[in-house]
Amino acid sequence: MTILRAEALTKMYGSASQPIYAVRDLNITIAEGEFVAIMGPSGSGKSTALYVMGGLDQPTSGHVWLRDQDLTTLPDDALSRVRRESIGFVFQFFNLIPVLTAAENVAMPMILNGMPRKEALERAHTSLKQVDLADRATHRPSELSGGQQQRAAIARALASQPAIILADEPTGNLDSRSSDEVVQILRNTVDQYKQTLVLVTHDPRVAAHADRIVFIKDGRIVDENNLKGAGSAEQIREQLSRVALSEG
Amino acid sequence: MTTTKSSLQPATLGQMTRMGLRYLSGRKLRTVLTTLAIVFGVALIFAINLTLPTMMSLFNSSLSVYGGADIAIASATGASFTPEEILSRVTAVEGVSAASGVLRRQFTLPSVGNELGSANSVELIGLDPTGIQTVRQFAISEGRFLQPDDSGAVVMPAGIAELAPALGLGTRFPLISSTGIRFYTIVGFTAEQGNLAVPPLYMALSDVQAAFNQPGLVNQIEISVQPGADRTAVTDAILAELGSGYVNAAGLDNSDLVATVQIGLTVMNLFGVLALFLGAFLIFNTFRTIVIERRRDLAMLRAIGATRRQVTTMILIESLLQGIIGTLIGLVFGYGLAALLFSVLGNAFRTYFPSTHFELSLNFGAVAMAVVLGLLASLLAGYFPARSAGKTSPLDAMRPAAVNINRATRSSLIIGGILIGVSIVMLLAGTKTAVGGAVLFLFGMIVAAPGLVIPMARLFSPLLTLWFAREGDLARGNLQRQPGRAAITASTLMIGLAVLILMAAVVSAFGILLERLSDVNFSSDVIITPPSIGVYTNVLGADESLMQRLEALPEVETAASLRYALSSVNGTSVNVLGIDPERYTQVASLAFSQGDAETAFAALTSGRGAIMTGIGASTLNLQLGDEVVLQTANGEQTYTIVGIGNDIMSFKINAVFISQANLAADFNKREDVLLMLNYVPDTDEEAALAAVNAVLADYPQFTAHPTGQYRAELINTTSAAFGMFYSIAVLILIPAALGLLNTLTINILERTREIGIVRAVGGSRKQVRRIVTSEALLLGIFGSALGVLAGVAMSYGFIGAFSTIGWDVPYIFPAAGVVAAIIVGVLLALFASVLPARSAAKLDIIRALQYE
Repeated sequence: MTILRAEALTKMYGSASQPIYAVRDLNITIAEGEFVAIMGPSGSGKSTALYVMGGLDQPTSGHVWLRDQDLTTLPDDALSRVRRESIGFVFQFFNLIPVLTAAENVAMPMILNGMPRKEALERAHTSLKQVDLADRATHRPSELSGGQQQRAAIARALASQPAIILADEPTGNLDSRSSDEVVQILRNTVDQYKQTLVLVTHDPRVAAHADRIVFIKDGRIVDENNLKGAGSAEQIREQLSRVALSEG
Repeated sequence: MTTTKSSLQPATLGQMTRMGLRYLSGRKLRTVLTTLAIVFGVALIFAINLTLPTMMSLFNSSLSVYGGADIAIASATGASFTPEEILSRVTAVEGVSAASGVLRRQFTLPSVGNELGSANSVELIGLDPTGIQTVRQFAISEGRFLQPDDSGAVVMPAGIAELAPALGLGTRFPLISSTGIRFYTIVGFTAEQGNLAVPPLYMALSDVQAAFNQPGLVNQIEISVQPGADRTAVTDAILAELGSGYVNAAGLDNSDLVATVQIGLTVMNLFGVLALFLGAFLIFNTFRTIVIERRRDLAMLRAIGATRRQVTTMILIESLLQGIIGTLIGLVFGYGLAALLFSVLGNAFRTYFPSTHFELSLNFGAVAMAVVLGLLASLLAGYFPARSAGKTSPLDAMRPAAVNINRATRSSLIIGGILIGVSIVMLLAGTKTAVGGAVLFLFGMIVAAPGLVIPMARLFSPLLTLWFAREGDLARGNLQRQPGRAAITASTLMIGLAVLILMAAVVSAFGILLERLSDVNFSSDVIITPPSIGVYTNVLGADESLMQRLEALPEVETAASLRYALSSVNGTSVNVLGIDPERYTQVASLAFSQGDAETAFAALTSGRGAIMTGIGASTLNLQLGDEVVLQTANGEQTYTIVGIGNDIMSFKINAVFISQANLAADFNKREDVLLMLNYVPDTDEEAALAAVNAVLADYPQFTAHPTGQYRAELINTTSAAFGMFYSIAVLILIPAALGLLNTLTINILERTREIGIVRAVGGSRKQVRRIVTSEALLLGIFGSALGVLAGVAMSYGFIGAFSTIGWDVPYIFPAAGVVAAIIVGVLLALFASVLPARSAAKLDIIRALQYE
């Protein structure tokens, strides 16, 4: 079953006479329980595509359907609600609120949704267990390592049991050991909980864990690779450099 | 998961409050500095409103409160009248049982030779001993009541024992009168406490008429109504019968005094509000910084699904929290301030109002006003930053900051420039629009300030590089990075300094005015004054006998006097001053702004001519040649304005000079309240003064001063009083200093990491300190420059407005004020930079680099 579908998605900057396309006529379908990695060289538009698909940014044209809801037609409040209830984000910079504990950070989307604090914190603890961070629940972000902060951010994304998790370079700011931990956790959520996951990365070792890799250049999909979670990093690196060198 | 429609559930609000508190406590220093601004404003407003109403009620209680009769009627001006005809008209009104004429008047006692103990003023109440008892009853606790053939007999309230324990039945004591000192004997005490602020002394009507030299006159009619009659209806019927010249005496209080105190209350509150406004400026500045600083956090909240409203609410809650904390502390400080004021002023008040309760009491209104204003100011200050926080895009969590400042500063320059342009036109257009222009100028400067930061910084930084060759450029860059914040800080400084310049200009303009007035007005050799000058309501003067005795002295060549009555024009009260033009012009003159002395004084005696004071003319909107209808003891009389002029004692009041002949005819007043003498040429002045004093021994309400000496004293005390204006400027400068401190501290907090880098690449502590100091200096110079411009414009506008109230003062460039403002501005900036510079220099390099 399709969870997310983008159709003729275009994001343009600059003026009409001198357009700069970040995303150009992009079509993609994400199935339920699928782990998709988006790769591409710097400036290829992969992050922009992710933001538009997650309702963080509005496209210039085209549509994004989350299940049967067209996100591009929603007003801001409804879109906020979709983000709160149906989408989980994980960013490169862990983006935790510095004055809140790990558990409170995880509980935040639920509290924003009006869930009583106690209940939200209970759920947060469950979520933190999922990412193996239960013992750090009462720590503030400044008391956590980079990897731990990113795990807390993943727990936050998981806590509201979203339809889809969108991760933008989640390991971009981590050392290789923490990076492995984080990717492993993400893979587990897909395997164990049938969580749908779209991940933007430029690291072939991370992408190697995905079911499918989509290569983007100049805002368009230029290649695909169905790994079914069994690709080698070496192979992916080769494919990526081929994409980067090809004529757009 | 559960979904809810409302985005502001209790759980959400609770969490936001928790976050707000943590954010605030995470930046303790900044929170304290910002909160101080609110504390200051709230404390000021609270202290003012705690103190002044208590004082007002004291004033009110000291005023004559009518008691006893069912109804009391007085002439509209308070002037005396012959009672017979009025009495017969009143008793004819249906429902009236009896009526009796009363002559009552309160006056200030001289400070020496007072045998009424600690009483400062008394009220003489002259009663017809038989008639009054048909109107009301007196309960006698000791002795007897007045009898028809009494002369020199006094009945007073038993409560007076509190003030003067030595008084008893049969005590004979002296009291001033307008015909010299008179002696009275106590024949009885009433069983009342009496208003001890102004104790009433009951005497036979004829005695009081003699004491005030008003034979045959009364100033009130006391009336009793028939049993079962409606008092209000009877009052209305009586007033209808008597016409507009008479009013209900119960409604007559010393409304002038109350109005003055009320104006004082309003003015002081305005300064409290101004201080709070500047406090709100600081909060606004801080929250704008907070929103920029937390852009990532806010964007992240939006990314995980917070609505715009939730984000806005979160910032508002935070500003409200700060408002609540600041207001609470402000209330405590305000109470302390009021207590301090009470203890300082208490002693003074106790001598004026003995045995009145003088306690600081909390009143709900004062608390409510301070709380509402405090919270409102913080909410309002938080509103715009909160709204812009709500506009944060979720994408801001991912991308680097790119603040486009050019467009905002350009539009602020354009709008501010237009406002300033309009204000200059208003300033130059004439005195009527000048004040509006001055205020608009200030406002325009505030609007334009963000756009002026960059050019001003560029203009002044060469100056700075003289002392801070290397650090100056960095400081300039830092200011230019946050033009909005620099502009607001400079604006608060500007307001403070502009007020300082304005005050300096006003004080010096007043000095010039006083000099001019005293030149024309104080040309006599001796001036003889009552206990209070300028306001003669409670002054008991003297009849012709005093002047005659003074003129009989061989040393005295000419004597002239001032007489007084109260009147009103269309409901506005006007002081009427009586002069004898022929005598007056020999010892003094007036400073004319319309008309000239020669024709004006001559015109006073032909028909009904009047010289109006400048304030009077502007209040009543009158010009030379206009006619003015004065309410007199004999109904309305039309006077022609023959000149507009001031003397030094009445230039600040609404007054009109008429001839003493007209004052006697229209107001039944023949009492001299102030006298001026000229000696025969080559007189031994010391001996002459001794001779004058010998005559005055019978009139202890008067004191003689050599005019030159009196003039010097008056100018000294008046300038000292105007010096109080400077304290207002200081009040406004405190929040300006807080603003500087706040901005510098925030700038440093924000740049902690940068400072770490400067230190890491080899910058010394001293250099870091110099960067902060030069930044403060640049801000100080910027604020001073704005303040000088605004101050010059404001002083020009306000002094121009002086002429509209009839005070002719030339505009003199307030050079001293400008110099003072520049010095104060720069010193304040340097002073404010000490702590931030030190803390910046002390930063630990490693921790600074890790600072988020």
